Amino acid sequence: MALGFNQKLEQQQEPAFFVRGPSPFARLVFFSALSLALIATDSRLQYLSNIRQHLVAVLHPLQVIANAPSQLYHDVTDYFSTQSRLVNENKQLRQQALEHSVALQQLNTLALENNHLRDLLKTNQALAETSVLGEVMYVGRDLFRKKIIVNRGTQHQIIAGQAVIDATGVIGQITRVFPYSSEVTLITDKSLAIPVQIERNGLRAIAFGRGRDNTLDIPYLPANVDIKAGDKLVTSGIDGVYPAGLAVATVTKITATPDSAYARITCTPTGGIENHRHVLIVSMPIRDEDPSLEAEIDPTTPAASTKKEGNKTNKKTAAKPTIKPTKPNAAE
Amino acid sequence: MPQSNFKTVYISLLMALICLLVPWSGFALKARPDFLLLVIIFWLIRAPNLCNVGTAWLAGLIADLVTGGIFGQYALAYTVTAFFAVVYQRRLVLFNHTQQLLYVFILLLISQFTLLILKIMAGAEVWGWSYFLPSLTGILLWRLAVLLGLNTGGRARGT
Repeated sequence: MALGFNQKLEQQQEPAFFVRGPSPFARLVFFSALSLALIATDSRLQYLSNIRQHLVAVLHPLQVIANAPSQLYHDVTDYFSTQSRLVNENKQLRQQALEHSVALQQLNTLALENNHLRDLLKTNQALAETSVLGEVMYVGRDLFRKKIIVNRGTQHQIIAGQAVIDATGVIGQITRVFPYSSEVTLITDKSLAIPVQIERNGLRAIAFGRGRDNTLDIPYLPANVDIKAGDKLVTSGIDGVYPAGLAVATVTKITATPDSAYARITCTPTGGIENHRHVLIVSMPIRDEDPSLEAEIDPTTPAASTKKEGNKTNKKTAAKPTIKPTKPNAAE
Repeated sequence: MPQSNFKTVYISLLMALICLLVPWSGFALKARPDFLLLVIIFWLIRAPNLCNVGTAWLAGLIADLVTGGIFGQYALAYTVTAFFAVVYQRRLVLFNHTQQLLYVFILLLISQFTLLILKIMAGAEVWGWSYFLPSLTGILLWRLAVLLGLNTGGRARGT
């Protein structure tokens, strides 16, 4: 201990200019300025998204190493899952499959009938959406944001702006795509807005994430509007991002504040926001002038654009020219 | 000798990075110490000729990449922290373990404060006190490392 200490002192007593180069203060000023320049560039301009994509790809092997222990744990627990549990699960799944197949038969008939009716009405056919199954790699490390990282990226034809759902409802939206992974901003994130519709009466609204406590807000609905606790919110599909009719949230609390014209509406998400391992990445059929095809979407942009769009439709004015009239018609 | 030392610095930084990349979630994510910054502070105290403010900045940039936030936030926080660590580095070797622990705690808080200010400027909501939990677990980890025999340059009381 004492010896080590002496060695340290010796090292320090070398002339300062020999060891250190520029003074710490000079370095502080230089690197702080560099950091601030980076912050300004990254938050305002899009130059760095490409570089980030490549750097994340470089880090991917390290990520695989870091994921290995938990992956191993999952694999081992999967391997040692008991016989009885598997049998039970199998039985359950069989039953579910049976129920679903019955529903599917009806669905096929209905889809045919729907197409036929659309033909009669000479409107456009509703386009089918495609989906990719992804597995959650890890929860986003930034505690200020609600994000998850899934193991599908540009190599699997994922593009920014696609919707992410699980078996029970909408989870979020892809906001950044890397070669082997992509970042999903959850619907409870503060920066994400999602156009919704009340299932009961078709009233359209926009739900915003609240951030910390895993709930959503509907901020711009008047206090006298027909909405009550227990109402189910589904995607309206008019934004061109989320397919119509997916479950989003359930209204849990409505408080009318006397000092505001708007009600405070709190909703809890239907999808397993925090407890899923597999998710489905759904893409709307690609339109020619789809604006969401950039490599990276600033999470604030979709929020802003959807908000604008949603307001427009709320006022019952014409939909954005880039979107074909199919969807609004279908929604109404 | 300096060659191998240099290698040690970067291998330890790489290990810290892997610790950061482990898929933490829930409470563990909230309480996870900032491994990368702890290793940086350790080397800033132990070997300021191998690890300086620039190294901290680079590590911060990687932390930015890993957390997926705006580039430069962690970089700035680490730079400021590294500056304070380097400026008082000579005094630090005279501290005993408890004083050193307090000092490291203050350094970790500086980093978290800088980050908090940047995040709030970027529009994040304000957190409760649990935001500072990583600083606490950070010094616990530091203490544990000292107990396990890592020479952080601090002196045991009485020597």
